[in-house]
Amino acid sequence: MVYLSQHRLSLCKEHYIEWYLKRVESTIREFKMFGRGDKVLVAVSGGKDSLSLWDALCRLGYTADGLYMDLGIGEYSQKSKKACENFAQKKGLRLHVLELKKEIASIPEIKEVERNRPACSLCGLLKRYYMNRFAKEGGYEVIATGHNLDDESATLLSNVLSWNVDYLSRQFPVLLEGDGFVRKVKPLVKFTEKENALYAFLSGIEYIEEECPFSEGASSIEYKKILTQMEEKSPGTKLRFYMDFLRRLHPILQSQEVKLRPCEVCGEPTTAEVCSVCRLKERVIPRLLSSSPSS
Amino acid sequence: MRVKVNYRGQELDLELGEKTSRARDVLRALGLSREYAFVVRDDEVLEENEPIREGDYLRVINAISGGYI
Repeated sequence: MVYLSQHRLSLCKEHYIEWYLKRVESTIREFKMFGRGDKVLVAVSGGKDSLSLWDALCRLGYTADGLYMDLGIGEYSQKSKKACENFAQKKGLRLHVLELKKEIASIPEIKEVERNRPACSLCGLLKRYYMNRFAKEGGYEVIATGHNLDDESATLLSNVLSWNVDYLSRQFPVLLEGDGFVRKVKPLVKFTEKENALYAFLSGIEYIEEECPFSEGASSIEYKKILTQMEEKSPGTKLRFYMDFLRRLHPILQSQEVKLRPCEVCGEPTTAEVCSVCRLKERVIPRLLSSSPSS
Repeated sequence: MRVKVNYRGQELDLELGEKTSRARDVLRALGLSREYAFVVRDDEVLEENEPIREGDYLRVINAISGGYI
């Protein structure tokens, strides 16, 4: 039996899975994320959220393929890739694997050159860029990621504490397509990490529990701990904080009109003449070639 | 009371208090919150209140993510 305090519900395994799937479907409907005729590309990392998302979408009858990005982070990347491959094979699903090393360089290699920039910042930039390109090349209408309620409420808290109005205006479970961007959706935003872990466990999904070694010191976990303390005292706090932000504040936030145009090198959307990934490539690739043993 | 716990790939020997222990005591002993962690025994998710028996083999799943600890 699973007890969910914020919903005051006790459920057995079968009914938990049923409840979970119904809630995923209703989230997709509520935010008009995509339809059954759309080709969905699920960004998978090998973790509980993204694999649960992929699993749920398939059980709900959506056409969903997976994209795993191999960031070249040693054993962590090997294990997480294997988890995605095993999952795809077990369920008979199509998994695409994109190797960052082939496109530009591995994250550890890039970090050797870009020393002052946090790995997470580089990683986020590159994942979004290559996912967008891949989705367009593959004819996918929408990219789905496994962001959960704990992620979104921690991000929200972080943005509120520094009053990052620009980010707040763009924090929404659906980012519509346009200007060279594919639609991006987060169907699991109403589920806590624990609810996703329970779904994964009860559905027999084998995922990796390890965290990326570069994420040491990331502040998101501090925000999650603060929200957890408040949630323990008052169940339902996180859901209300996030959902009421979406319903009441987000609609009245005006985002600054950003002028986007195609990058002169690769054609991807950018505010500058050359996009940040092409500029990163210009800095990183010559340095890596000049420091390689053969030269 | 002694129990064996599998937590994040590690096999741990946990010493719990003298009186009857419950699943929530296992989480407390590991410093985990019931908001993001749960206890499994024989493939069953245990409710917080569920009594733990001497010599139980448990698995603890900690769902919180977003930073290497």
